[in-house]
Amino acid sequence: MSQVLITDVAAVTALGDDIEQLWEGLMAGETGIKPVRHFPVENYISKYAACIEDLTLPGNLTENSRIRILLDRLLEKMFPVPADSFLITATTKAGIDNLEQLCRGNRTDTQDILLSTILDIVSQKLKLTAKGININAACASSTIAISQGAAMISSGRANSVIVCCIDIITEFIFSGFSSLKALSPFPCRPFDRTRLGLTPGEGAAAILLMSEDRVKKDNLSPLGRVLGWGVSNDATHITAPAQDACGLIRAVRQALKRANLKEPNIAAINAHDTGTVYNDLMELTAFKQVFEEHKVPVYSVKGSIGHTMGAAGGIEVALGLKALSTGVIPSTVGFSDPEDGAKGLVSSKPIQISGDYLLTTNSGFGGINAAIVLARKGVQ
Amino acid sequence: MIASITGIGWVTAAGMGCGRKSDSFSMPAGNLPKITGTVVFGKPYKHFGRMDEYSRVGLAAIAFALKDAGLEKCKKKRNIGIIASTVYGCLHTDIDFFNTVIPDGGLMASPNLFAYTLPNCFLGEAAIHFGLTGEGFVVNDPSHARLTSLQTALDIISWGETKKMVCGVCDLGRPLIFGQGKKVPPGSLFLVIEKSPESNLSTYGELNLDKDDSISFNKTKIADLTSLVNECIVNKNRK
Repeated sequence: MSQVLITDVAAVTALGDDIEQLWEGLMAGETGIKPVRHFPVENYISKYAACIEDLTLPGNLTENSRIRILLDRLLEKMFPVPADSFLITATTKAGIDNLEQLCRGNRTDTQDILLSTILDIVSQKLKLTAKGININAACASSTIAISQGAAMISSGRANSVIVCCIDIITEFIFSGFSSLKALSPFPCRPFDRTRLGLTPGEGAAAILLMSEDRVKKDNLSPLGRVLGWGVSNDATHITAPAQDACGLIRAVRQALKRANLKEPNIAAINAHDTGTVYNDLMELTAFKQVFEEHKVPVYSVKGSIGHTMGAAGGIEVALGLKALSTGVIPSTVGFSDPEDGAKGLVSSKPIQISGDYLLTTNSGFGGINAAIVLARKGVQ
Repeated sequence: MIASITGIGWVTAAGMGCGRKSDSFSMPAGNLPKITGTVVFGKPYKHFGRMDEYSRVGLAAIAFALKDAGLEKCKKKRNIGIIASTVYGCLHTDIDFFNTVIPDGGLMASPNLFAYTLPNCFLGEAAIHFGLTGEGFVVNDPSHARLTSLQTALDIISWGETKKMVCGVCDLGRPLIFGQGKKVPPGSLFLVIEKSPESNLSTYGELNLDKDDSISFNKTKIADLTSLVNECIVNKNRK
């Protein structure tokens, strides 16, 4: 089994066009959540989202989806990606903004609506020669994409895998979450007793995974490792999490087992933690059951960059590496009055961590849960 | 050998069924048959009627495949994964949903339709109904061969994540509103593949992933999913 090394990451979020900007914003407790301007929101539960500046201006309609602009901005931050890298993309709705235009009777590029289009765009931009796949597993899409990439490298099926994940905020998504009463009327408050729902965010991330041999051959310096991964379905409900957290518990235990780690080895947990009443309770239940008396610090970035859906796992893996390398986890913006079980674990300030391993989790519609264990650079 | 094919189920314009009870398989263009919970599960299933058509078509084929493999009944949840491949996914449902958003500025947006606007939601429905807790996701495969889900499922078994997978394709065809784009026949087709077959039923044959990423069935390379299923049926009749 080959080690799975991460050699490059990039992310574009409402807090900036690169990881450094994003990290500085998180350390300063900033939020990119603002009133939505690019479609009317007066009839929805919320007026807020974490949108990326300048993807489009109001009224400036083109036939291309906003995903193309976002992918351009993401990929220009990447170092050259080996042309033989296997590509795995992840998105929940691709260029769904174009479907809106189509339904409204406007001219639009229907190709951008297809989920496989992300694969085509990225492959062309990076001039990749190997084939790839797009993965759709709701808000766990990119976590599963990274897990699949890691498994390919670990098993020797590939020696370089590039994972690209992306989702944008559109009226389609906003109106849908509003109709489900899942949107928070105020910027989301993860793990807070007063939380009322999620705040959508848009974002994209790219993660380059390589085998040890390939890293040596290409003379690269890894940023960290993917040590373990696990995926499991609740088999309980398609839009609500299982109250007993059975799926997330299984996913976390699989990831720890594959990483060959015990619970006390984990220095911190990046929780999916959308700020919805039931998701947050489910996660606290899972962490309590898995980690028992071990008080592992937990954080969520959703109060800063919103819930970036299919891109969430990729962005959070990139941030997890940063947390491990700096020894600090970000504040959970929006958190002030702890939910039962969150007191002493979640903080509204950045906190120091000690240890070499970080767990990151995501869950999504369809009952899917995914977990990844990351190792700090240099740890064997 | 990585795994054996133990179950096959489908819903296509030519009809619905499973491998053990059929003499051939095809996925032509045309209208899909009307599917009800009673037809699929042998008894009324109220929730089935609330699903979107994409989910009903996908869930029905998964149900037929599991029954064909003798795995439809379970006393507790099982580590069986599901990988589906699609071209257009749930775009018909997406269009239906957004058409509830447009007229009143979002006030009448349908939460029930929105719940089915992700192409993996029917995998969740299958997981709930059959107690499947394994890895599950949708891949997007515009190729003619439509083998990506099978290849992914074989990978997952070979990596030791699980010993049983359900994999296949599900599409409702190109939405009319698109005007142009790849033509894909409507319908669903799912296979059950097992590393160590659980039921006493005979298997259809053995699958292998070759070094060049191609898939072999009983040591012969396969060209596409449809011909694989027809080979399975021929093989079954030879036994």
